[in-house]
Amino acid sequence: MKSAIPTLFAAATLLVAFHLFSGRTAAEETNVASIRFADHHFTPQTLTVTAGEPLAVKVINSSNETIEFESFKLNREVAMTPGETITVRLPPLRPGTYDFYDDFHQDVPEGSIIAK
Amino acid sequence: MTLARSAWTAIVAVAAALIAAQFVPAKRTNPPAQGALAPPPGIEATLRRACYDCHSNETRWPWYSRVAPISWLIVRDVEMARKEINFSEWGSYYPATRRRKLEWMGRALREGKMPPRLYELMHPGARLADADRAALERWVESGLATPSPGKTSE
Repeated sequence: MKSAIPTLFAAATLLVAFHLFSGRTAAEETNVASIRFADHHFTPQTLTVTAGEPLAVKVINSSNETIEFESFKLNREVAMTPGETITVRLPPLRPGTYDFYDDFHQDVPEGSIIAK
Repeated sequence: MTLARSAWTAIVAVAAALIAAQFVPAKRTNPPAQGALAPPPGIEATLRRACYDCHSNETRWPWYSRVAPISWLIVRDVEMARKEINFSEWGSYYPATRRRKLEWMGRALREGKMPPRLYELMHPGARLADADRAALERWVESGLATPSPGKTSE
């Protein structure tokens, strides 16, 4: 019976190589920001980030309402149930202001992500 | 014979589940309008046939919306669609909200995301011809270009 070890070794090598040379490094994942929704508003209401770098925004719905985290400029809309946390991955942003809001509650104050 | 008996048991179980599912109601609602949109007649006709079943309080609930579990999916889809944009509640939207809704409408039209393909397959009358889509896009653009927060019109 042919041993499976060489095949497994080759597969493992390929996986490691892919991880090393795929272009994604730990540094690219370090830009993580958090936004919390509670008491009918987002905190922080204004988020300042570095332009030109990929960004991951963790949005936490700490309320007991279903909301929709939405931004037309960022082209993102995600419904969130109470207690849910999502991660919105964004490409490098050009300098500027990107508004976000809760599309299910129009009386919730709008927030902004400022890239500079 | 064992396989046939197993298949028969499975069929009976599925049938029983379907019957039981009918006792879990799905709330089909058409609440009163709160300041409905008043677009030009041609635009209104297009919106009614292509959009209103999901995006208004004037949903025409088909017969299969009374049959579980399909009824649950349809009611959920309509509820979500109304949350996204509801033409029957246009008058209750803040001016900034109306602007956002128009922006997203424009994008959905340009990218061909609305009406959804599956919905068009089941409702051929909802399909948008190129001319209809272009007319809707022009109407959206005119709404975005209009500084007044009033009703959107060409």
